[in-house]
Amino acid sequence: MALGHERFFEDVSIGEEIPGLEKGPMTTAHLMRWSAAMENWHKIHYDRPFAIGHDKLPDLLINGSLKQQFVMQLLADWAGPGGWVWKVGFQFRAMNLVGETLQIWGKVVAKRETPDYGLIDIELGILNDAAKESTPGTATLALPYRNGKALPYPFVAPAA
Amino acid sequence: MSELSEALKPYIGLESHTDTACDVVERGAVRRYAQAIMNEDPIFSVACENNKRYGGPVTPPFFPTHLFRRPFGVPDPIQNNAHDPDFDGIVAATISGLPELAPLKGYALLNGGSELEFYRYPLHGETISMKSRYADIVEKQTSKGLIILVVIESEYRNEKNDLLIRVRRTQIRRK
Repeated sequence: MALGHERFFEDVSIGEEIPGLEKGPMTTAHLMRWSAAMENWHKIHYDRPFAIGHDKLPDLLINGSLKQQFVMQLLADWAGPGGWVWKVGFQFRAMNLVGETLQIWGKVVAKRETPDYGLIDIELGILNDAAKESTPGTATLALPYRNGKALPYPFVAPAA
Repeated sequence: MSELSEALKPYIGLESHTDTACDVVERGAVRRYAQAIMNEDPIFSVACENNKRYGGPVTPPFFPTHLFRRPFGVPDPIQNNAHDPDFDGIVAATISGLPELAPLKGYALLNGGSELEFYRYPLHGETISMKSRYADIVEKQTSKGLIILVVIESEYRNEKNDLLIRVRRTQIRRK
């Protein structure tokens, strides 16, 4: 998150694309480092003979739990230090395999005003080298108004 | 309502006990986590302008959901399965604290996705707890046959009972 970067609700346009984030190529070292950091010893992420020979997978899988981190980084960086990523949802529709480079993307699809801050709805996903989508999702971010007050922290959801 | 749905109905609304993570939020664990996700934002490591409103260094947003690990003194599933060529390495890190769905014994489990709501980032040194419930269990006919959608809702809180994250995970169970 860049120091001093600030984004306001009024700055955002429907249809606007969020600058993409690239991760990779994702090597076995990346996957092992993530498995160790979260203490997830599922072999399909680091034991190639097991992944291919036992679980009949095409190769080692990039963890869904790692992919969702990249989406969050994209959103939080774009929202800036004055914004807040309130909701995010994913579906893991397709596999991403070791060796792939991931392109994380997002696009503004709606804006809503509440009394205290604005809400931005985003469609998002992750593309591999072949431009195949694996992780479609949505998110809702809160941004302050240019002449409004700072967002509440802890975050307070708008009244339903 | 099918026989299977009838058997699953008593599980809907069932809650886990409150599980407390065996370790507090440690700076070293946050460092390893941030490096592994390739996001070494200073808000995770030092007090700075961008984490002033959070009260100091915080964890990456998903960190609490990966904090429930095998404590000291609990049997080691890796060693216990060292001679089992079929052991896939899945251990307690993903357990929600809920009872197994006995009517679905033998059904495969797939991750159908998740929805998260964020309210607060944990600070270094905080203790995190989690409580889960079966929010819904429904049968669905698909082109590939019958599937069961199991929705588990979990809340993560700190020791002051502040809500950090609310998660809805959908598991797909099928034969």
